[in-house]
Amino acid sequence: MNVREKISDRLIEVTNPERYIGNEYNIIKKEWQEDSIKVLTAFPDTYEIGMSHLGLKIIYHLLNKEDNIICERTFSPWPDFENLLREENLPIFSLESGRSVDEFDILAFTLQYEMSYTNILTILDLAGLEFYSSNRKESDPLVIGGGSIVSNVEPVAKFFDLIFIGEAENYIVDIINKHHELDNKGLEKREILKKLSRIPGVYVPSLYNVEYHESGHIKNIEPVNDEVKANVTRQLVTDLDKAFYPEKFLVPYMEIIHDRATVEVSRGCTKGCRFCSAGITYRPVRERSKETLLKQIDNILKNTGYEEISLTSLSTIDHTEVKELVEELTEKYEDDKISVSLSSLRVDKFSVELAKEVQKVRKTGLTFAPEAGTARLRNVINKGVSEENLYEAVEAAFNEGWSTVKLYFMIGLPTEEQADLKGIVDLVNNVLNKGKEIRKNTNKRMKPIRINVSISTFIPKASTPFQWEPMVNKDKLQEKIRFLRSNLNKKGINLSWNEEDLSLLESIFSRGDRRLADVLISAWKKGSRFDGWGDFLDFERWLEAFRENNIDPDFYLRRRDLDETLPWDHINMGLNPKFLEKEYKKALNDSPTSDCRFSDCKGCNICFNLDVDLDIIGDDYNVNKS
Amino acid sequence: MLIRAEYEKRDELKYISHLELMNTFRRTFRRAKLPVKYSQGYNPHIIFSMSQPLPVGMVGYSEYFDLELKEKLSFNLMKNEINKFLPEGLNVFEIVEISDKDKSLQAIANTARYEYEMSFKNDKSNSAKMISDFLNEDEIEITRYRRKKDDRMIDLAPMIYDGQVVEDNIWEFTISTGSSGNVRPQEVIRALKLKTDGEVKEIPLVNIKRIGLYVRRDGKLFKPIHREVLKKEVSED
Repeated sequence: MNVREKISDRLIEVTNPERYIGNEYNIIKKEWQEDSIKVLTAFPDTYEIGMSHLGLKIIYHLLNKEDNIICERTFSPWPDFENLLREENLPIFSLESGRSVDEFDILAFTLQYEMSYTNILTILDLAGLEFYSSNRKESDPLVIGGGSIVSNVEPVAKFFDLIFIGEAENYIVDIINKHHELDNKGLEKREILKKLSRIPGVYVPSLYNVEYHESGHIKNIEPVNDEVKANVTRQLVTDLDKAFYPEKFLVPYMEIIHDRATVEVSRGCTKGCRFCSAGITYRPVRERSKETLLKQIDNILKNTGYEEISLTSLSTIDHTEVKELVEELTEKYEDDKISVSLSSLRVDKFSVELAKEVQKVRKTGLTFAPEAGTARLRNVINKGVSEENLYEAVEAAFNEGWSTVKLYFMIGLPTEEQADLKGIVDLVNNVLNKGKEIRKNTNKRMKPIRINVSISTFIPKASTPFQWEPMVNKDKLQEKIRFLRSNLNKKGINLSWNEEDLSLLESIFSRGDRRLADVLISAWKKGSRFDGWGDFLDFERWLEAFRENNIDPDFYLRRRDLDETLPWDHINMGLNPKFLEKEYKKALNDSPTSDCRFSDCKGCNICFNLDVDLDIIGDDYNVNKS
Repeated sequence: MLIRAEYEKRDELKYISHLELMNTFRRTFRRAKLPVKYSQGYNPHIIFSMSQPLPVGMVGYSEYFDLELKEKLSFNLMKNEINKFLPEGLNVFEIVEISDKDKSLQAIANTARYEYEMSFKNDKSNSAKMISDFLNEDEIEITRYRRKKDDRMIDLAPMIYDGQVVEDNIWEFTISTGSSGNVRPQEVIRALKLKTDGEVKEIPLVNIKRIGLYVRRDGKLFKPIHREVLKKEVSED
């Protein structure tokens, strides 16, 4: 049944109705055959964010490549559209065929951001599904999840039948086919899940029991019986160059966040920034070759008509062939006015030279991320950037005619002192002064210098060396922001920072456990939606939700003991169990760790444990360094 | 060469905005590998312009765009290529060549025809009488609501050129559009409601369709691709 047809005329009443019409160029509408396996991907945020998500693109096209699988999409409805659906008593539907969730075999969520958890509940509710997996019927679709924050999915674990840990490309089709086969045999859901849990990377939350001490701390996390694996190991793609990558991108009407021909130049990052979750959960570095990338880009451009190419990864500038790639791309597409953008710049002169190369067609902004204000604190967080690197980079930028640069810093980092905040102020002022000096002495026309300073709050994340660290409290956070505001309040500097409440909430869920599921449901029932969007966040409502469930939010913000059982201990990132602790202790001694891609192995053991190599193009010894 | 094309925007695509529609066409031209021309400057874009924007929610069955190309192409080939790469819901009907002396679409198209799916308070047997009474009014005053400006009274009478009943509840009106006098399609309904003491009810925008855009000269209507209103002799291939 086509649900959308019933509501089509009323879409005029909601904001951005084009979010719900589908019909994009390259949309895949397959014939609805009885024996096909029907999968509905659900992205718990708006259309324009979901459509920009690389993982979703890969899964959609990967599944639709299979003759026996139909994969369609749905996204979180904006509150006005949610209200409209409720008013008309209609369920959420897919963009392709307009069908409701009960017509699908599998509902597959992307888990990419803690603050979109309440949106998962909206979709489940509008699908007519119970929140808890244990309360759902045998006939309900299988609810699965996967994505970038799987280092700790415990707060939402009870909502899912199955969660895939790691990169799913190699396993997702098998999981779907196997489920179909077992389902056709008439097996009960619990039996099916037990069998599926034997597939590498498959985490079935209901097969693990969590016991708690009276103090609230976790006593242990154990599989329900010996047949269930003791922990779930992250899976990954070993040869990215050969891995599937979609080339017939859907072309949305609405301007999405990343509205361009994006290619993934590499996956993983070994720089080892100690606050960074992705730095662990996507290890090691695997590069795509220039030839493959050129071919993919050409096909995507042909298929979409996009006017911009984006080279994306956790550290694009580090790609072995990035310079040659950028040069070839600009030369090849200059006449077609197709520009190139780099997703992340390193703080150095090389980055600026490359940025200069790519902005031949369209001028883009420049962003650098020193992250901390002093060399000492940068050693603590292992951000290998010196003051000289930064000055060289911004001077090169100003000399090339950029008048605006953006600088990223974090506050609330472990061991942070007043001197470190002062360091941010000094760095920003020095950058501004260097810009003004260059502008004064140049004979080129330059707009007044502008430094956009973006301050984010450090949030301790699971599976990082800082996972034991406490979250900075609200009073201190406000004090730090006040200090920066009063000291950076001058012409030419534009300061922005995170909403404190949002950071605190994100922090609670980043290291949360299964008991938080009830809090999520309470907050959702009170009306929490799109909390990450700031304007919707009502912290008081969240505090009530905590109180209702007798849960103290501070319990989740506190320092953890090194020997404490952590909620995500049964999820194995492939690390040497002592690696994070070693890195944590080095951090507290201001001691940096160099990037293993340019030096020797640092013993995280991921290459060995996950049987994968650091895959650097053109590297003669792609050997297992463990 | 400069070309002018007539196209339709229908079905769910009524929900995409004017800006989104422009981007959709630009990307279509690139997919079709048309030899388009680009503007100069930091953010070059395809030189291309469109007729009066449709409001979000309204389909248009006879809309137009102008496009500049670096070289001559056969109109048929061009039409087929564009249609091959357009998403479902957009479709080009006809392409003609125009000259750089021709006025832009927004300057030349001064008349629009809309089809209304009407809604009435009681029975609808007197549709013909209601519409003829309405068209015979000397003055049709309504309030125009303006964004960020004060409301003001306007007289629609001289800007409503024609109207007819197609079926009892399907009416058409031909009204002035553009900079020389613009009537918003919903204003006609509001005026009808006033004049019929509420017999005609207000309708949502999705019940109104733009079915034609014209150049009105001496009381006669021409399509903007009609050779009568173009400077250059239209060549056929």
